[in-house]
Formats: sequence, structure tokens, C-alpha cells
Amino acid sequence: MFKYIWKKELQGELYTWKSMLWLVIASLLFSFTSYLLLTDRELSLLDQTELMLLLSQIIIVVALLIITIDASSIITAEFENATAETIFLAPLSIKDFLLGKFLASLTLWVLLFIVSLPYIIVASSGSHLTMAFIGYTALLGTLGIVGLVAFIFAVSLLLRSTKNTLTTSLITVLVLATPALFSTTLKNNALSQLFSQIDPIDNMFSSLDNVLVDYQTSLLQNWRFILPLVMFCALMFVFLVFAARKFNEEGVIKND
Amino acid sequence: MKNLTDMTDIIFADNLSKSYGNRKAVDALTLHIREGEIFGFLGPNGAGKTTTIRLLTGILKPDNGVVVIDQLLLSEQKKEVAQAIGVVPESRGFYNWMTAKEYLSFFAHLYGVRDDIDKRVEARLLQVGLLKRKHSMIGTFSLGMRQRLGLARALINNPKILLLDEPTLGLDPQGQEDIQQLLKKLNGDGVTIFLSSHLLNEVTNLCSGIGIINKGKLVAEGTIDELGKMTNLQDKTLTQTFLYLTSNGGERDV
Amino acid sequence: MINKKCFAVLSIGILVFILISSTFARSLPPPLVINITSSKTLNGIAGDYVTIEGTITNTGDKPLNDIVTYLSLVDNGTKLPVDLEDWSAEKGLHIGTIDAGQTLPLNWKIHFVKAGTYSLIIIAEAAGYDLPQTSGITQFNVNPKINLNPGQVLPVALGTPVFLIAIMFLLAHRRRVGNE
Repeated sequence: MFKYIWKKELQGELYTWKSMLWLVIASLLFSFTSYLLLTDRELSLLDQTELMLLLSQIIIVVALLIITIDASSIITAEFENATAETIFLAPLSIKDFLLGKFLASLTLWVLLFIVSLPYIIVASSGSHLTMAFIGYTALLGTLGIVGLVAFIFAVSLLLRSTKNTLTTSLITVLVLATPALFSTTLKNNALSQLFSQIDPIDNMFSSLDNVLVDYQTSLLQNWRFILPLVMFCALMFVFLVFAARKFNEEGVIKND
Repeated sequence: MKNLTDMTDIIFADNLSKSYGNRKAVDALTLHIREGEIFGFLGPNGAGKTTTIRLLTGILKPDNGVVVIDQLLLSEQKKEVAQAIGVVPESRGFYNWMTAKEYLSFFAHLYGVRDDIDKRVEARLLQVGLLKRKHSMIGTFSLGMRQRLGLARALINNPKILLLDEPTLGLDPQGQEDIQQLLKKLNGDGVTIFLSSHLLNEVTNLCSGIGIINKGKLVAEGTIDELGKMTNLQDKTLTQTFLYLTSNGGERDV
Repeated sequence: MINKKCFAVLSIGILVFILISSTFARSLPPPLVINITSSKTLNGIAGDYVTIEGTITNTGDKPLNDIVTYLSLVDNGTKLPVDLEDWSAEKGLHIGTIDAGQTLPLNWKIHFVKAGTYSLIIIAEAAGYDLPQTSGITQFNVNPKINLNPGQVLPVALGTPVFLIAIMFLLAHRRRVGNE
């Protein structure tokens, strides 16, 4: 059943130009960034590995923002456009509904990643780190997006409003992303260090730094960054299960 | 009082209640609808008609009570009940970017239809008079066309029971007539119909049994003649009977 | 009597002379000669990594201790000193002790960050001296790096968005044709 929801969402994204516009916007941002990094007189003097790190961070941040905006409406639009009732009148479980929508959001991430590939290849050419760059951006980005989408879907089921879900999700992403951009000198106190260890975005950036700048490319060498991401995903799935159960109890129509 | 195990009841609701805060939207409602019936469900605005349909379809969970559809307990066999019923709900949202054919195909897949989907989709579109517009986007449809499409969607899984919340709303007189003829034909083919409507002439034309709800309570149930006998009015048309029974707010039983 | 007075005055005079001399000596820079030997090879292009080579010689008759040498760079265009944060990882070299007459090599690896004309000197400090010793001024040019299409970024930067927009229009056209 979930594959029909998935297919419907993908068709909707394509036929309404939603996902295509996002991909074009992302590619313009990547084009601007990579051109600036590689041709600006001062930026182009950075080590290639630092260029690659900067580009990978921009790819991840752009993807997180686009997926946040897209995923915040993928469920709530069903309530706001009054299509939720007809969907749930069909013999469709909440599990299939969520899985279909989830795969649609992940598909957008996959497309964003594919769009970023030419830029990754160009920026890393000659560095012997191209495969590591591609592999770790894919792995870390996927883990981050999976956890983020689970969180957004849970919020969607609880709030049932695109505006409220989007606000909550964007604030959450900002809260997680901002400390990740601080330099190590600003993370000297115990609280900042603790937050750094659990912050999924900080762990994504730290792992990319570890791979691209310090040449620590094996999974074992990055396990201390990947594990918090896996735990983040698991926690968000627990939150999603809780939200789905609450949704089932309340029913499709919450207030008449 | 009818027996819980009456095998001719295709829709049975026992002591159904639903409250929103302090307001009782549906209050101890009991319904027996026989297989093959066209049952009209009438009531003033806010009486609880839509809430009742939502409780019967499982979209809303009742505070109390039991619903049995086609011998299936709704609270435990929701998927099986969903397969047995077709619903035109009050909220009529559509995916405006889809064509009529894509929309019905999507729902056919959700209902588990696997064989000859195209044939079935086109047959339903023909039934509701939308076959020529199968490739048009729903965003270009008028209100009446959307109503027809909603009915086609309700029929896509060949249901035994149709629950319709004002199915002819927004249709012109010809459109209303066409839908009424369709419903009669479907009933002739064995489909039981639960019809909520404001159009008393529609209910008069179609329904063999009628229930009147007011302020969440079922105030009367029976045929038009039986309902008329509950009043002291000389004019025992459904309109006058309805107005009498809903203004008095009392409960009548046959 | 006169001899004793003379002797006293002479002693005091010598003492004063020694005191003044030693103080004066401390106000002088250490007896070091610093040469920049790579002055001819310093010109380059922004982005280049070059090595500044030099020598430091103790021309005094005693060892000099705790010698520290460092670079000082001035941008001739802006007439401002350059912050060496991005130019060099090692800003100061601790030499330690140089024996009398000894010559030691010096080198710094620096990264040409910005185009322009620069003046470079090497400065040395020694323990017990209030003033530093400097090398002569060496001037060098850093030419700008002009590269419009490094690593073939231009085809990707232009081509990817154009390709995606083309797909968008193709999908829209197919949808329109399919619905007619």
C-alpha cells in the first residue's frame, strides 16, 4: 500500500514542479558556492581539503533546509486540503501512510544528493578523496535526513498545521545547526562539549572534517560521530511511533 | 427493540455517543439499517449527521457504543469494513494536480484493486458522466463535477454499502436527477445506501426508511407514513413532519 | 697624598666608565648579522608556497643565549604590516644559543595569500639585550592568481541548473500533451 502513497507524492512533487524547483534552487546555490570557492582570489587559496569540507557542509545545510520545508507540509497538507478523510477511509494503515510519505521525502534527498555529485567530483578532483567525499556525504546526510524527517512527521501528526510544523522544525534545525558552526574555541566549556557530542549536525560536520581534512576515511575512525547520528534517528523514530499512536487514538478528525 | 444479532442488519449502531467538550454531538444513538435499504438520515444543521457518518466509517472514535457493519465489528476489523463500504464524506478535498483517471486509479490501488483497473475506472467515470473529462485535471472541475468524481471514488471498490453525506450538494437539477437515478440503479443491484441529505424531495424519492436526528439524538425512525403518524398534523408531508419533529425535539418510536 | 687622590679619581673614573659602558652595551642590539639569502627567488604568484632562507651569525666574542628570530612583513601598497596568521604556520623560531663566530641557517615556509608588493625583514632578539637586531629589507612581488575555470567548474556550475530547468519544461510539456 505504501508504494502507492509514495508514487502519488512523487507525481505530485513532479507535476506541481515542487521538487524540480527545489532541485534548481539547490543547484544554483551549489553552482554559486563551488564557483566562488574555486575562482575567488582569496577563497581559492584555501587548501583543497578545506574547500571540500566547506562544500560538503553547504550541501548538507541546503539539503536539511529544503527537506525541512518540504516535509513540513507533506502530511499537514492532507488535513489542510481536506483530503485526509478520503485517504483514511481507504483500508490504509497509518504505518503505510507514513512510510509512503517518508520514502517521498527521502527520494527528494536522493535527488538533491545526485544534483550535488558533479560539484563534489569537480571540487575533489585530484585529491584522492572523491569516493570518501561522496560516501560520507551520502551516509551522514541520509542519517541526518532520516532523523529529521521522522521528527517533522511526528510534529506534523501532533500539530496538524503546516505553519506550526514548519516553525517548530526550522527552529529545531537552527538550534542544532548554529553551535555546529562555532569554532572549537567557543566550545571550551563542558555544556558546549556535551551538546557537541549529541548534536547530529555537529557530528556530521565533525565527521566530514575528520574524513576530508584529517584523512581518517574508515568507518571505525568515524564511529564516534556516526553513533550519535544513529541514536538520533532511533530517538526520533520513537517520537514518531508515539505521535502515530496518539493520532490513532484521536482519529483523523480531531475537532468537528 | 431490535436484536443485536439480527442478521438482516447491514449497519448496526448501538448506543453510539460522541462529545466535544461539554457538547454532545451524538447522544446514545441506535440504528438498525437493513440490507438493501436506502436509508435517509435527516436533521437540522449541527444535529449530528456528519458526526454519525464519521462514527459509522471509523474516521471518528466514539466515546461509547458499538458499530457493526456487514457483521464486522468496526473497532476491531476496520480494514475489512473499509473494503465493504464506499463513502462520500462531508470534506471534499481533491488533488487538483491529478486527472480524474489518475485520481480514481490511485484510490483503486489503495482499495487493493489489481485487475482491470483502467476498465473499472472508466466504467465508474461513465456512470457519473465524467468519462469525457478523464484526462482533465481536477483543478479545472466545477463543484458539481467534483461531487460526481467523489461518488465515482466511493464506488471504485464495488462496495456493498454506500454512506453518502449530501451527495448531490452543488449539482443542478439535472445532475441531481442523474445521481438519484444512479443510486436507484445501484440499490437495485443490491447496494445498501445510507444517505444524509437536506433535500427532502430527494429523500422522499429515494428512501425506504428515514431517521431524523436532532441535537445528537435520534428523534424518529420509520417510513414517511410512519413518521407522519407521529404528528397531529393534517399535512403529513415529510417537510412538515420533519419540521414538527425537530422543533418539538422529542423522541418518537414506532 | 697627591698619588692617592689620583689613584682614587682614576679608579672611580674607570668604574664609572665600566658602568656606563656596560649599560650602553646593554642598549645596543646583540652582535648578530642576519642575511636573507633567498631574496632573488621570493617573487611568485598568490597561492604559492615558498621558503624564506637566511643565515644568522654571532659576530661577538661571547655566546648569545635565548635567540628568537621572527619575520616582519609590510604591504607596500597599503603601508600596513601584514598579519602573518594565514601566511606562515611558524611565526617565531627559537634558536637557543649561538657561539661566538657561529653561523646558523634560518628558514620559514610561507604561503602567498594576497597579491601585492611586500617588504620583508628578519628580526632577532637575544637574552640580556633590550634592542633587537634586524636584517636588511628585501622586497618581493606576489602576482595575482587568475584562473577562470579551475578544475572545470564552469561547465558544472552553468550546466547543472540549465539541465534541471530543461527537465522541468520537458515534464510540463509531457503532462500538457498527455492531458490533451
